[in-house]
Amino acid sequence: MKYILSISFSIVLCISVCWAGEGRDKHPVYVGARVCATCHQTERMGHQFSKWLASKHAGAYAVLANPQSKKIAELSGIPQEPQESTMCLGCHATGAHAEAWEKDDTFFVEDGVQCERCHGPGSEYMDAAIMTDRDAAVKAGLMIPTMLDCMGCHQVKGSHVAIHNLPKLDMEKAWRDIAHPTGKDGDRKSKPPPEPAGAGSGEPKYVGVYVCGRCHKGPGHSYQFSKWRMSRHALAYATLAAPKAYAIAKKQGLKTSPQASAECLKCHTTIFTNPAGGALDSYSPYEGVGCEACHGAGGKYIPQAVMTDPRAAKAARLREVTREVCLRCHENAHDKPFDFEQAVKKIAHPAVPAKAAQTPRYKTPLNMAFSPDGKELYVACEASHTVIVVDVRQRRKIAEIPAGHHPTEVTFSPNGARAYVSNRLDDTISVIDVSSREAVATVPVGDEPHGVLTDNSGKHLYVLNTSADSISVIDTKTLKEIKRLTASRSPWSLSHSPDGSLIYVTNNLSRFVDFRKPSISEVTVIDTSRAAVRDRIAVPAANLLQGVDWHPSGKFALITCNRTKNLVPMTRLVQGWTITNALGVIWKDGRVDQVLLDEPGMCFPDPADVAITPDGRLALVTSSGSDRVAVVDIPRLLSILEAATDEERLHVLPNHLGKPTEFVITHIPTKNSPRGVLITADGKTAFVANALDDSLTVIDIDKLEAVQRIDLGGPKAITKVRYGERLFHSANITFKRQFSCHSCHPDGHVDGLTYDIEPDGIGISPVDNRTLRGILDTAPFKWEGTNPSLQRQCGPRLAVFFTRIQPFTPEELSALDNYICTIPRPPNRYRPLGAELTDAQHRGKKMFERTMTNDNRVIPKGNRCITCHFPPLYTDRHTHKVGEKLWLDGESEFDTPHLSNIYDSAPYLHNGIAQTLEEIWTRYNPDDEHGVTNDMTKDQLNDLIEYIKTL
Amino acid sequence: MKYLIISARILMVLWLGETALCQAKDLTSGLPAFSSISVCATEQKLPYVYTEWKHFTTKDGLPNDHVFAVKADGSKVWVGTENGLACIDKTTGKIKSWKEKDGLPWRVVSALDVNTKTGELWVGLFGGGLARFSGGRFDHWHQLNSGLINDVVYGVAIENDNVWAATTAGASRYNTVTGEWTIYTEKNAPMEEIWNYGVSYDAGKVYLGIWGSGVLEFDVATESWKDYLDPDGEMEIDLYRDDGIVHVITTGTSYIDGILWVSSYFGMCRYDGRHWRGYFAHETGLPSDFGNAVKGRDANEAWFATDKGVGVLADFPSDTWVTYTMDPNTHRGKAVVTQGQITLEIVDMPRGIPHNYALWTEFDGNNIWVGTSKGLANAIGIGYYKGLRSRARWVAPSGEIEAGKSGGHKTKRPKRSG
Repeated sequence: MKYILSISFSIVLCISVCWAGEGRDKHPVYVGARVCATCHQTERMGHQFSKWLASKHAGAYAVLANPQSKKIAELSGIPQEPQESTMCLGCHATGAHAEAWEKDDTFFVEDGVQCERCHGPGSEYMDAAIMTDRDAAVKAGLMIPTMLDCMGCHQVKGSHVAIHNLPKLDMEKAWRDIAHPTGKDGDRKSKPPPEPAGAGSGEPKYVGVYVCGRCHKGPGHSYQFSKWRMSRHALAYATLAAPKAYAIAKKQGLKTSPQASAECLKCHTTIFTNPAGGALDSYSPYEGVGCEACHGAGGKYIPQAVMTDPRAAKAARLREVTREVCLRCHENAHDKPFDFEQAVKKIAHPAVPAKAAQTPRYKTPLNMAFSPDGKELYVACEASHTVIVVDVRQRRKIAEIPAGHHPTEVTFSPNGARAYVSNRLDDTISVIDVSSREAVATVPVGDEPHGVLTDNSGKHLYVLNTSADSISVIDTKTLKEIKRLTASRSPWSLSHSPDGSLIYVTNNLSRFVDFRKPSISEVTVIDTSRAAVRDRIAVPAANLLQGVDWHPSGKFALITCNRTKNLVPMTRLVQGWTITNALGVIWKDGRVDQVLLDEPGMCFPDPADVAITPDGRLALVTSSGSDRVAVVDIPRLLSILEAATDEERLHVLPNHLGKPTEFVITHIPTKNSPRGVLITADGKTAFVANALDDSLTVIDIDKLEAVQRIDLGGPKAITKVRYGERLFHSANITFKRQFSCHSCHPDGHVDGLTYDIEPDGIGISPVDNRTLRGILDTAPFKWEGTNPSLQRQCGPRLAVFFTRIQPFTPEELSALDNYICTIPRPPNRYRPLGAELTDAQHRGKKMFERTMTNDNRVIPKGNRCITCHFPPLYTDRHTHKVGEKLWLDGESEFDTPHLSNIYDSAPYLHNGIAQTLEEIWTRYNPDDEHGVTNDMTKDQLNDLIEYIKTL
Repeated sequence: MKYLIISARILMVLWLGETALCQAKDLTSGLPAFSSISVCATEQKLPYVYTEWKHFTTKDGLPNDHVFAVKADGSKVWVGTENGLACIDKTTGKIKSWKEKDGLPWRVVSALDVNTKTGELWVGLFGGGLARFSGGRFDHWHQLNSGLINDVVYGVAIENDNVWAATTAGASRYNTVTGEWTIYTEKNAPMEEIWNYGVSYDAGKVYLGIWGSGVLEFDVATESWKDYLDPDGEMEIDLYRDDGIVHVITTGTSYIDGILWVSSYFGMCRYDGRHWRGYFAHETGLPSDFGNAVKGRDANEAWFATDKGVGVLADFPSDTWVTYTMDPNTHRGKAVVTQGQITLEIVDMPRGIPHNYALWTEFDGNNIWVGTSKGLANAIGIGYYKGLRSRARWVAPSGEIEAGKSGGHKTKRPKRSG
């Protein structure tokens, strides 16, 4: 009776929660499997609950504690614990994307894939009066899933295949395996388990495994709860519904069903084993043999203060588990022998976690800064999350300072007391005290901070928020952001003029331009006296503006850039093929010159940084795609520009492959993927950061040759992923080494361009470039969805359409794909992990999941957002015709893109025609083919977009 | 009441006599050199009167003479016109302008505000949405590419990191850091009508002037709304004076020093948080009840741009007004100082506001900018002082001291028709 009261109370609670929720809206809430069991547990209901309890679905959450799950997460670029990642929980739990208020107290995420994962949150339809009327139940939200719905989670996932190597799921068989028909008579009244006899007053009460699980979970407790959940103990009650249990009961002459028999329950549940002092509401016999079956009723020892004090815990009846405890049930049970030693090993759940094998942690040095006295060189190392200190005179590493995640750029305060490090993954700046060599403060800034630099006075620190298209201005005295300036798109690096009055900021992505128009990128000019944007210098037909350095004359700065000819088919081989690599001269008065660094037979892929010698004579430019540094004779370069007409400077020199030999003196080889370059104040030495070699190359400027490699102390072994990373950043795979994967996918993301790939005519079938962040399980690939795997995408097809020389070898391809999979997804900036939705986001979620229009028309299932973009990947991984076909397009059906962090990969749609999320629906969905949206009011559309940005 | 009127007439007679005496003297030395203006030696407590005016029209480089918005920004003055944006460099006197061919996203610039932290200019476009002008680049937000509620933007105001746009279909608030758009309409604000005419921000409060819905106050800290409606309903007379806002068809708001100034099509108001005070043309120096805009200089001084000139409540405690108009026949300017029904001073000037249909006023230190339907005016405020001060009176050559009545054709600021 107690359990009936308990469950009834839960139902009442559920209903009250629902009523309370109606103040905000009528959204249903998840009630949990145990509430379903109220009716669906009896023999006459086919023991549906027990069937689920014994299924893999019920253990889906627990298996995320397995080491294999951790590997899958790593392989998928998921930095969190699998049991905390909504991406993993999306298929391994129920309601993973629901807000806290959408889950009733009777709901436990630890129950894995529960009834409501397939049938929908149950608060609105769980009432027996509704459930006995199928139509009413469906109207109230009961979902009747089809096999197709199961495919949302059960499609082949590359990450899971790589680790488990399981064959493709036989869906027909799986469907049969989880079949849970009702019994013959259809008596839906649950017959509760009998009352355990003899509860002793004063004895501690049972609290249930979920209470234990609040602490005994996660890696810190060696996943003890999940280990129990994966054990047979957790299935002890459910197994009593199996035919075998019935056979045993019959053999023993029992007249009731096993689950109603105290004789069976005394070893298949906790409370019947020893009634103790009874049970709290949090306990349920459905848990089978829980923690307290062996450790004793927890009512008195469960407080953390008691549990962490062994003597107090013992006094509170925490029981030591002995052989005798187990033997009470296992001795000669059903004629099965019992080996205590082996059994204990089998259910071992030590509190101290086993030491996991450490994955090699590389350094990946990206950018550097000299201390003002020139004695030390600080190196921002992305992979090790540190800043490495190099003694300039001794040319060796002398210290390593922990910073935030993904340090990208570093700079010093003018007085040398502090160093500032941008942490790209954390959206912060680490403030390092140089004397103590430790981070003393962390300053929050915008999304994905990249370049950092102070003005000459040190009063302001400028931080380039590369994913927010803005520049944070930090008051270095208070370490507070005082304003945020508008950059162009993806601000990257910055350099101040010799007099300090101006700062030039390069922007990695082109401004938005009209459809089928060439790029226009920008150098943003900051007036340091006002800490405000003074000018925006347009750099035509260029993108990926990255490195920048002012000439000591103060007349101009040099920048690195690409000149990508994305509007013509990639087959065109005029003036340097698809991507040419260039140097830009940005004059102080706003004029711009561009010259190529590519030569007819030898390209200069991925120019990443530039540094000018103090005498203004030479410029050193790194090519991360070809592991070289180009040495530019600046006077010669200037004389070429001065000798040219305005027309030549505008149209000829920027595309002239013959000119670089006139001003590039030599190329100096480096190690893998050189990025940042710096020259000492005396102009004698240059340092180059070799990102994928964990080293610095030292260049003697007089000799113009590399004279030393400084080892930064990374692992010597090259893992498969690291090998793949090198391949990704190397142009060796392309014709004339002109570009690398990184050229179009800088740091695994996007270059914001729409490409004309195939030789089907100029402008035919243009396709938007898509991010590689978190794409592993989103196959098929390509906008037409014709490539079923990354191997196919990056294999021979890549050679045919992009690189045009021999494809990757199978070994290379495997490594490359491995790396691509691990490109991390940055945390969502619009909804931090675990945060509640804002009101606007919440309203937007309703729009995303709506089934009715504003005027109460039913939206066909295929025209709902959630149908094709369902969690956790937010793609159904199929192609659809959504009315986006233009006359330029060959196909009319396009792959459904995933929506993870969709806010940072504009433009949108297959051809990149929509510059903003709004335009997808305001301009390019006139006939409601891409979801029914035309009835939405403007505020509803705004809400929808606010929600989409949280995915 | 009749004693009051008699007293006022006695004062008027005395003053007229004094003015006649003053005409005999020319005491202009040491004051701005207007050949046609003389000064009376007798001192009286009077407000400051702007007598030196400069005009800017298309001849000087403005892209259009219909000036809808003006924003002073340090050494620059931004001017929004019916066909382009202009910037007057006060240090060089040069005017630079932008039309659609120069990148301005839409021809009609109806509102301007400057983010003083970043220096970015925000531009309300009448029918074209919202634009940001920064470093020579225009960024454009409109109904189709953003969450802006409507492209017909009447007013723009910067509030912290947010930009407010008063539009014909509600107000939009754009967070420039997060990119979030919030819309305020009748659904989530006490907006009886959604036609937002004006928006202003100061000291944690955003005020919306709404056609048919009075004034709405948005408290930034609590994100809560408060509405101010005409207690007389939608009557076009003020049935019970000073009982609230004079009319619900409001066109502009200005909040400064804890005082809310409001312009409407049927009179103007001042609200100190407890008491309302209504102002009408028939009893004050307001040239007209038809207010296009208002700008408060402090708690005691406000400038009202009307369809018949500019009315300035120069000193609230003494109810002293200065009315600036232009004679449509001679194009000479006139400033009339009144206190209640009494005219204290008439100043005839070779130049005043360029047209009586005034659309905007803007403070620039001691100087004033006035946008009209026929050009922009800059009034130079050398020796400006607040309130009243004892000084000699300006006297027109004719000795005229009655309030000027100007006419002229109307070029309306974009507004609701019908």
